[in-house]
Amino acid sequence: MGATFDFSFVFQYFIKLLPTIQLTLLIVASAIAIGLVVGFLVALPQMYNIPVLRRVSQVYISFFRGTPILIQLFLFYYGLPEMLKLIAVDAARWPALYFVILTYGLHSGAFMSEMIRAAVASVDRGQVEAAYAVGMTGPQAFVRIVLPQAFATALPVFSNLIIASLKDTSLAFSVGVMELTGKASTLAVVSRHLIEAYISLAAIYFIVSFVLERLLRLLEQRVQKRGLASL
Amino acid sequence: MIALSGIKKSFGKNEVLSGIDLKVNRGEVVAILGPSGSGKTTLLRCINYLEKPDSGVISIGDFKLNCRQHGKKDVHALRQKSAMVFQQYNLFRHKTALENVMEGLVVVRKVSKAEARERSIALLEKVGLGAKLNAYPSELSGGQQQRVGIARALALNPEVILFDEPTSALDPELVGEVLSVIRQIAEEGITMIIVTHEMGFAQEVANHVVFMDGGVIVEEGEPKQLFRYPKEERTQQFLKRITPEAGYSI
Repeated sequence: MGATFDFSFVFQYFIKLLPTIQLTLLIVASAIAIGLVVGFLVALPQMYNIPVLRRVSQVYISFFRGTPILIQLFLFYYGLPEMLKLIAVDAARWPALYFVILTYGLHSGAFMSEMIRAAVASVDRGQVEAAYAVGMTGPQAFVRIVLPQAFATALPVFSNLIIASLKDTSLAFSVGVMELTGKASTLAVVSRHLIEAYISLAAIYFIVSFVLERLLRLLEQRVQKRGLASL
Repeated sequence: MIALSGIKKSFGKNEVLSGIDLKVNRGEVVAILGPSGSGKTTLLRCINYLEKPDSGVISIGDFKLNCRQHGKKDVHALRQKSAMVFQQYNLFRHKTALENVMEGLVVVRKVSKAEARERSIALLEKVGLGAKLNAYPSELSGGQQQRVGIARALALNPEVILFDEPTSALDPELVGEVLSVIRQIAEEGITMIIVTHEMGFAQEVANHVVFMDGGVIVEEGEPKQLFRYPKEERTQQFLKRITPEAGYSI
């Protein structure tokens, strides 16, 4: 099969893969940013029990939670340009990265909305009533009382979602985006040092998640008590 | 100065308030008594619209609100006339004692931070918590939390403070410290409406006692008269059950 195992390649590939971390992190960051916005919008009709929109958001969540992200990626990458053709938009030449970011954003949006809904529900109703009783408006009570506490509750889940989506990005290669996994696979196939390439790849994913995890843990500890005020 | 008229409220088919009329004068301390399920807490919560009455008119001072026709702004205005002390304290858990008291002043009343701080510290000292300004609710006992709750209500300088069973969630040994704070502010002439199960306290502090049952006011009057010579049979039964036998006190 491959060439004889040679440890020096592990180090060599590691260095070669480093610059690609940027692209992987770009996908993660954009997906999380889109996910937060979408997740909030999707959580709203559930929290405020808005009749029709509530149904729509439930369908959205079931779809993105209930199907593999790889399939979602294919559906968007191959399906969306066809759909856009119908309204005379030519998406055939759009970079695959756009579709990847869109898919991952919508995917994490489904999970984010569940996170937001649960976190907001965890702030007891009594505090909202107290906020009304001191004369706050609904938005004031939400921003000043509910949100900071919900944020603290959501943070551990949020950390998990970030780490999970970091690893999900390895599937972007299947539509031809040259992120970490794509780059490593190419190196592996060209040089036939497969194991070495995948060891370097695993090491890089591990280090990036480890650093992210640590950073998020620090943030968690700060926010635990004081909510947003500590940021 | 506070007048409720024809307040009605149902939860589904269950009518909780069947037309309540109540007048409270400035500086008066009104205690609302009654068995559980009599609608007393719901009535209190209707006064600041935490519960929306189905019909009736609420007026506090010169502000009048008809429950059948009003906008969001009216509710907002109504709520600014009163403050509430809750059974479960309901302090903002991510804020210190001081920040809890300042919150309404800064956010709602637009008082400057420095002034709000000064006023809040004075109030916390008044309720005996001068040493706990920077403690979070989780670091305070129930009695201390409730005293912060009272300071938070006082800070707004409202026309009336509504107390919803302020000592019901407390350990017996902590009830005293909260009652003495309420007694102290009652003496300062602040208008208060208190839903309570503390009969002795109601008798001592209130100028006016209201007995509710089944969503109506059964009887009301001066505490001495109502406690000693209740006219209605329902009141007599209630008082007999909860007050200790004559000649025997705990």
